[in-house]
Amino acid sequence: MSRPLTALILVVAAVTGAQAHHSSAMYDQQKTLTLRGVVTQVRWTSPHVNVSVLSDAAGGQAGVAWVLEATSPGNLMRAGWTRTSIKVGDRVSVVVAPLRDGTHGGWCRGVTLLASGKRLEC
Amino acid sequence: MASVIDARALSIAVLAVLATACGRPAVTSPPNTEPAIAALPDWSGIWVPDVEDQFKQVDSNPLPWKPQVAAEVKRLTDAEAAGHPKGLFANCLPEAMPAWMLVSHNALEILFTPGRVTMLGESDGNRLRRIYTDGRPHPGDPDPSFHGHSIGHWEGETLVVDTIGVLPQTYIAISEAVGVPNNGGLHVVERIHLAGADVLLDELAITAPNVLTATWTTTRRFTRQKGPNADILEGVCLQGSFAEQTDARGDAVFVPVPHTDEGNPVPPPAR
Repeated sequence: MSRPLTALILVVAAVTGAQAHHSSAMYDQQKTLTLRGVVTQVRWTSPHVNVSVLSDAAGGQAGVAWVLEATSPGNLMRAGWTRTSIKVGDRVSVVVAPLRDGTHGGWCRGVTLLASGKRLEC
Repeated sequence: MASVIDARALSIAVLAVLATACGRPAVTSPPNTEPAIAALPDWSGIWVPDVEDQFKQVDSNPLPWKPQVAAEVKRLTDAEAAGHPKGLFANCLPEAMPAWMLVSHNALEILFTPGRVTMLGESDGNRLRRIYTDGRPHPGDPDPSFHGHSIGHWEGETLVVDTIGVLPQTYIAISEAVGVPNNGGLHVVERIHLAGADVLLDELAITAPNVLTATWTTTRRFTRQKGPNADILEGVCLQGSFAEQTDARGDAVFVPVPHTDEGNPVPPPAR
């Protein structure tokens, strides 16, 4: 692997965050936010699946990198997901409960694949 | 067959003599009255905890915390409500007894084999309870462990489980962010049984003399799912703390990713 590619992966990893087994209380479950963008990373790992999305540029503002968390692979599988339900490059609309501190993270409530219209509940 | 039984009896006698010679009383197990596997109720499939009901149970039947413990529980509850959860299990140690049964969000499966009932939990590879149903007693001085020493017996179609020997550090938890260490002397008695075709109830009586003023009885509800899409998946808690990469040699490797002290995800930097 070339050094630039390795560096790119390290940057992606740096914004991915850890997924140790934790409460979801840092997300405001009373609020919902809908994002549209492109999937940049999917981590199908226990105890929490993690999806990174680059939101679309809008209103003269550049897109923003979001990290979305969901429940475990097992729980998602029983909700109809597979490891490849969402892939890097997919355009999606995602409904999330945003982080309370206003930074760009959210708890996944549902994902719609824009190409097919398929809806996946998180 | 007779010679096999004789050999077994001789072995037990020799072990008893050796145990006595070592200064420990010989332990005599009561007769094994366990029913045949085929006569046991059908607990196949996987069992998914009813998380919403977990909260209802605590709200309708609060724990009898000691006053100083209640203050700590309130502090943790307020912190969670404010969006700063403690992350009781963020270190990826087992949820353990009794928190696994009380607050888990993840499925489990229950296996019957002669002399033993085994609970295997999803999401953390270290969720495992061995419940001995062969009639043995608890050891006199069990090694403390995350899930303790469990013995069980069947009363009709109800599995009655008695657990001691749990590490004092394991949590009595009411959520993944609110709980206190049991601080020693924990004793849990469970009555586990079906309540309808696909509902399993775990009625727990939890005695924790260092944090509770009385035994707390509560019930946890699990619903059955079956079929290939419901199978338990391998889950390794720490896997999410590592990213899959390729190193300079071209080897596929895991490398740590950054996290907060609470183990929560680090959001991306503002742009």
